[in-house]
Order: sequence, then structure tokens, then C-alpha cells
Amino acid sequence: MLQVQLRKRLGAFELEASFEAALPGTLVLVGESGSGKSTLLKLLAGLQEPDAGFIRLDGTAAVDVASGAWQPARLRRIGYVAQDYALFPHLRVRDNVAFGLRATGVLRYEVAARVERTLGRLGLAALASRWPHELSGGQQQRVALARALVIEPRLLLLDEPLAALDQRTRREVRRELRVLMSELPCLTILVTHSPADAVALGEQIVVLEGGRITQAGSRQDMLQRPRTPYVAEFLGTNLFAARVVPGAVGAPVRLDVDGAELAVADGAEVGDVMAVVDPRDITLSRERPSGSAQNVLPGAVIELTPEPPSGDRVRVALATRPPLVAEITHAAAERLGLAPGVPVFASFKATGVRVFR
Amino acid sequence: MRLRATAGAGRAGRDASSWMVLSVCASGLLLVFLGLPFVSLLLRASPSQLLEHLTHPTVLSALRLSLVTAASSTLLTVVFGTPLAWLLATREFRGKRVIETLVDLPMVLPPTVAGFALLLAFGRMGLAGRALDAVGIHLPFTTLGVVAAQLFMSVPFYVSPARAGFAAVDRRYLDAAATLGASETFRFTRVVLPLARPALIAGIAMATARALGEFGATIMFAGNLPGTTQTMPLAVYVAMNSDLDTAIVLAILLLVMSFTLLLGLRASPSTFLWNRGRAASPAS
Repeated sequence: MLQVQLRKRLGAFELEASFEAALPGTLVLVGESGSGKSTLLKLLAGLQEPDAGFIRLDGTAAVDVASGAWQPARLRRIGYVAQDYALFPHLRVRDNVAFGLRATGVLRYEVAARVERTLGRLGLAALASRWPHELSGGQQQRVALARALVIEPRLLLLDEPLAALDQRTRREVRRELRVLMSELPCLTILVTHSPADAVALGEQIVVLEGGRITQAGSRQDMLQRPRTPYVAEFLGTNLFAARVVPGAVGAPVRLDVDGAELAVADGAEVGDVMAVVDPRDITLSRERPSGSAQNVLPGAVIELTPEPPSGDRVRVALATRPPLVAEITHAAAERLGLAPGVPVFASFKATGVRVFR
Repeated sequence: MRLRATAGAGRAGRDASSWMVLSVCASGLLLVFLGLPFVSLLLRASPSQLLEHLTHPTVLSALRLSLVTAASSTLLTVVFGTPLAWLLATREFRGKRVIETLVDLPMVLPPTVAGFALLLAFGRMGLAGRALDAVGIHLPFTTLGVVAAQLFMSVPFYVSPARAGFAAVDRRYLDAAATLGASETFRFTRVVLPLARPALIAGIAMATARALGEFGATIMFAGNLPGTTQTMPLAVYVAMNSDLDTAIVLAILLLVMSFTLLLGLRASPSTFLWNRGRAASPAS
């Protein structure tokens, strides 16, 4: 269990954050630049000292200002991967990965074995003798991950792991990261400014705005009940873990979401995917629609939330299968006579479902 | 001579033609002034004459003494100057400005003043001289004194670049090393030193060149005793009045050594393999 309660002042900016997270697992810290997420990560790593508060990992204090407890970064066994990876430019890949083991006096034969194992696990065995500048962005990131993981950290901190990558690599690395993080025996805390990455990667999401946590909770909770305009704007979307199922030739591709089926336009390969439906792409009606929308889901309204900041839109949470959130105008909601419990049909086109792996 | 503009080449470069002509003329005059003495020196010596005088006892003993003392003083500069450079690069403390000025002072101080001050400090009657005398260490008019004079004069030539090199080591690498469990000592030896290596080597070359060329402080503090304190610059000075050929050989030797050191310095940073990749690392 990680328990965090911190306060840190940096000039005019003040970070104040408290949250808890279970080990192992994945927690995503999402916020715009300047929201304090990198500072929070540095406080966790022990690279900065808080003005007040504590960090407890499984009961022991990494820092506790009240009691004066302080573990420097090197004693915390917290893996930290900086935004631009900070691979040592004067060391080959193998020596970069071995650094943490050599620094802590691990015996030579064990260093070699653990380094080889970690390199193999991350698919880096063939690159062991390369210099960092000979690697692509994605490869550099994997080396940085290997270097952090080889010390078997209790906590793995990833600062914007996808920010320095181009779009194509990004998609690939996002998938790799998700698989990797689900297998790790430690808690991974990942910082991102990209809400898409946040919902794709985080089971638990903490939203930072201007140095304050404005919302913390499960991915599902965040998607359905965004509490601030920022969260609504960026995270307030429908996201499902789904499976592409083979359909008849010529028929639209079907997506299996917890037993319910959705039509998708993408010719996605069969397998596990994430699917996103923008709430603004969903049309609500009282009667079964006769239009061209290939996805029509019946269900009752759960709740209506005015959508800040302008307030001319409403978020409608629906008890459909899968559960959806739609966003419509106030006028439309009134015309439909929407209220909790009212049965409606939610419809959206097959092209409205975006699929990514 | 054809000059190529490094920036604004082509048509834009031609606008500034009068300034260009002026620059080339001024630079040319200065370079002739700088180069002419060396050329005349080299023209004075025939190869056979050089070889003959190279084995002259005065030349050999001065050469040996210069190499030994310059190597010793450079070693001392590195051993004691490295920690100082690191402290100056990474720590803030009271009186830092004064210490920085003190370290830089020998660069601008007349060497004779430095030698005189050294004599007052470490001479027989000096503040530290008596204490050193008591433990059997005599600096004035000994080879050790030559090393001391060279050390005094060459410290800033190593500490300044070393300090800049340490300051340029990116904080991110140190942070990464810390989270990987590295102690401060490990971080220094495995991250800071290798990353600052080009700067350190530059400093070593500069300090060695300065030590090899040291004259004023040496003659004031250590005297001019052949075989004991008469280094090559001193031997040139003496030989100039008695044996011009020996003076020329010594002067050419010094010239070649200094030139090689400085030229090597300009070539060295790019020879580090990983250094080439620095520009290729992802921008933050």
C-alpha cells in the first residue's frame, strides 16, 4: 500500500496532494503541464523534499516531515524513468541496465544474469552493445524501463513515457506498456498529460489541476462522472475493453463488449482492443430510430449532469449494455423529456467507434 | 585565401564586404605578428644542427627536469583541483566569490609577483616555510620548489574548464543514478567524471602547457640551478646570452610541445564515441 500526503511550495506554485494506491497495480496521474505531476513524481522518487506530509510504502516512511524521517532516493528502491529517459550517454545499453546493480554492489555474475534476463524480457537482447544515441525513441524508452526494472523496484514511476515518441511508435509503446504494467509485481505510477493515454493505461486515475487533486478514482468512475470541466473535456468519453469477433464476410466487424455487441467500421484484426465512443457522437431518442446508425442500444437514463463550464450541454449517463454516457444540448434533453428512469434509445454510427490496441 | 562565411553565406554575405575586407586585413596582420616569431625561430635551425644540440647536456637536463616537474605539478593540480572544481560547480556557500577570484588570480598575476609571494610564504623565514623546514621539506631553490611554482601558476588553467565541465553534467543523469541506488561517490566516479572527461582533458592539457612554460615564478622562488631548478624556459634565457644554438633548440622544443598540446586539445572532444550522440539524444 502506498500512502501519500504531501505539500510542496515552488515559488508561487503550491502542490498539495494526498492519495492511496494498492500494490501491485497501475495508477495514472493526469494533468496539464504545470499541474504539478512531475513534481509529485520527483517527491515520490526522493529527488525533492516536501515541505510537509509523508510518503509511506507498505507502512515504512520514505519521508515523513513530522517525524523527520527521510530516505534519500538511492535507498528507496523506486524505479524512475524520466521523460526523456536520461540514458547515460557514455554507457552501452548493457551497462546502462547494469548500472543500478553495480551501484548497489550486486555480485558480478549475478549482475550479468539479471541484466541479460531483463534485456531479454523487454526484447532488447540484440541491442545490448549499442550506444544510447544509436537507438530509436521507442528503444531508448525500453532501455530506460529495463534499467529501472532490473533493480526490482517496489514502485515504478514513469514520467510522460509516451510524450517523446512519434504517433506511430506511441501506439505500439502504449500497447507494450499496458501489457508490461499488468505483469509487474510492483505499483506503477505513470504521469501523462494525455487523457487518451490515461484511460488506456490506468486502472486508477488521479487528476491534478493547478497543484490540487480534483478527482481520483477508477477509470470507469472517471469516464462516467467527471467532476471538473477539465476531466469532462478530456476524460469524459466512453471507453471499453473489447474483443474484435470474426463476422460474416462483407458484414461489419463486430465488437464484443462484456457480452454486448457493437458494430465497428475499422477492419480491425481479431483480438483484444480498447474502444472509444465520443459522448457527442451519441444520439438519444424516445422511439427506436429508423436512421442509418448501426448501433442502437436501449436503456434507461441514470442521471443528468449539466456539462460545465458553459452549461448549455448535458451529460446523460445511461443504463445500456455497455453503459454509455451521451452528451447532448440542454434543448434536446428538454425536448426528449429526459429524467432519471426514462427509457431511451442511444444510437451511433459504426464509424463513431474508434478502436485501438 | 578564400574565406567561406559560416552564416549568411552567399548573397547576404556580400553586403558586408567593406567590413569583411577590414576583418581579413586586421586578422592577417595579427596572425603575421603571432606567426612570424615562430617562423623565424624555425628558420634559424637546420635539422642537423637541431639533432646535434638535442643531446647537449644543458638541453637534456633541462628537458628531463621540465618533463618531470610539469608532470608532477599537473598531477598535483588534478588531484587537488578536481575536488575544488567539483565543489565550485555544484555547491553554493559563503565566500564562494572570493575563492573563485583567488583561484583565477594566478592567470593575471605577474609570475614574478607570484614567485616573490611564494618565497615570503614558503621561504626559510616564511609563514609556512619554518613549519615545512621542521619536517625536513625545503621548497625554495629545490626541484620541489619548481613544482610548487608551476602548481601555483597552473591551477586556474585546470580548475576553470573542469568546473565548467562538472557544471555542464545534466542533473537528469544524476537523478537517474540516484534512483538506481548510486551513492554520491559512485555517481561522481561513474557518471560525472566520464561525462566531464573532455573538459577535464582540456584542463589537463592547458595546465601542462602552462607548467611547461612557467618562468617568472620559478626563477624567483626556485632559482636557476642547472639540473635542479633550471627548466627549459630558464635554460633558454641563460643560453640566449652564451650559446645561441642551444637556445634555439630549446625554444623549438618548447614550441613544438606547446603547439602539440593545444592542437591535440582542439581535436580531442570529438574523439569520444558517445559524444557524437549527444546531439542526437531526444530533446526535452
